[in-house]
Amino acid sequence: MSENIYISRKQELPLKGENTSVFLQVIISIAVFIFAITLSGVLSIDSMINNWNRSILGSLTVQIIPTDETDKDKAKAAALAYQEKAVEFLQSVNGVLKVTPLSDEQLNELLSPWLGDEVNINDLPAPRIIDVKISPDADIDFTQLAQDLAVASPQASLDNHKLWLNKLIAFADGLNLIASTILLLVAAITSGAIFYTTQMSLGLHHNIIEILHIVGAKDAYVAQQYAKRMAFLGFMGGVIGLLFAIPSIFFIGNLAVDIEGGIISEAGLSIFDWCIIFALPLFSMLIAMLTAYYTVKKTLKKML
Amino acid sequence: MSDQNNNIIEMNNVGIRYDQGPEILSDIKLSLAQGSFHFLTGQSGAGKTSLLSLMYLAQKPSRGQISVFNHNINFTNRDQLASLRRHIGVVFQDFRLIEHLSAFDNVALPLRVSGMDEREIRKRVTELLTWVELDAHMSDKTSTLSGGEKQRVAIARAVINRPDLLLADEPTGNVDNIIAGKLMKLFVELNKLGTTVVIATHSDKIINDFPYPRLHLQNRGLHIYYPADTSVLRGINV
Repeated sequence: MSENIYISRKQELPLKGENTSVFLQVIISIAVFIFAITLSGVLSIDSMINNWNRSILGSLTVQIIPTDETDKDKAKAAALAYQEKAVEFLQSVNGVLKVTPLSDEQLNELLSPWLGDEVNINDLPAPRIIDVKISPDADIDFTQLAQDLAVASPQASLDNHKLWLNKLIAFADGLNLIASTILLLVAAITSGAIFYTTQMSLGLHHNIIEILHIVGAKDAYVAQQYAKRMAFLGFMGGVIGLLFAIPSIFFIGNLAVDIEGGIISEAGLSIFDWCIIFALPLFSMLIAMLTAYYTVKKTLKKML
Repeated sequence: MSDQNNNIIEMNNVGIRYDQGPEILSDIKLSLAQGSFHFLTGQSGAGKTSLLSLMYLAQKPSRGQISVFNHNINFTNRDQLASLRRHIGVVFQDFRLIEHLSAFDNVALPLRVSGMDEREIRKRVTELLTWVELDAHMSDKTSTLSGGEKQRVAIARAVINRPDLLLADEPTGNVDNIIAGKLMKLFVELNKLGTTVVIATHSDKIINDFPYPRLHLQNRGLHIYYPADTSVLRGINV
């Protein structure tokens, strides 16, 4: 008989049957869903910024601005001469790994998305381009390099990609900030919901808590029962939210891949990022557990 | 528990009021020696329940000092209060059982909150519930028990951890004379083992059958009558 009694031991606080359980689980599921989507956005933007940063760390572009020469052949010859001087100079710079002037075909290919396949670089007053690969850890003073380059080859102009990339990075940082704010808001709303439902529940079970206190239970004893229950709701809510979020992340990812231009495709989630996303139910469990625990402790302090 | 003196409870100039109302109890001065046995009497509304609630640390006085087990409760933190309560057993007039739990789980409560091993809990609770003749109802939810059975569960819960102080509010109010006598004998036995006992009662029979001092509440004050003097109170509805 005593074995049966032992097995049937129940929690003193009947938290399982509470109506608020379903409400909380739904709230947590929605929160984790939004959290997962936003987090995947933040992590993608981070990876995109990192990729961009890496790309500008490893390369430079030098443009040879066309001269005012109206004769096409003379203009090309002048541009090639300036290009050669620039190449010679760049090859002598410490930290430069490779200097590659782009051929006419490569230049035509770059222009073709805008001007069509029939374009010929030699018919246009377009700059010639030199691709320069530099060592990522090279200590290069780009301002000084630009000045020296202008001396070596007056028509050469140095572009270290910083200008346009900085604008994009600033934009991406802005997006990141908004996303982080959403993450904080979602976490705060979830904690708030847990806080108020826990307080409601404490009011509902006031009599039982009073009995527990009278028989010598410390606040932690009551708080642990709430923490345990909320941990369960937090985890289950998190799993449900994640189950809905993962297909959505893939769907948004596919939409992004369809956008041409090479900017969005720089974004992607690494295995580490996926680990963070899959850990969200544990995170929601922790938040729910800690919020409930400290809510109970704080509320019970007002009782003797 | 009490290393400094033999008094389990000391009250000095204690007053209690609720909200901004008048004082229910005024200038209460009381010392309960370890191992003593007292009845607490007084008309309905005299403040018996309030005085008991001060003793089991459910509230603090509006004024005055209370020391329980030599701890001034005005300077005792919440966890220490909880530890002190583990040495106090309380039987309530309205039982205050947890209805969705079985009789066994209700009685086991004080032992579980103090972290006792479950095997030892099983042994002690089964033994006590058998003694109060509730062995057939161990697994029953207390909501399904009769008033008398609930009373016995409440008493078993109060004494299961062999408290240093036992407070009971009308503990025999819902049981027949035979069970009442048996429960009173349990309190007397516990008292002989060193438990300090305070029983609030209206029962003349019990007071007459057990010649212990009486703490009588009247006009917001506390008066103590010893067995030889109790005749002065006969006729007063206590």
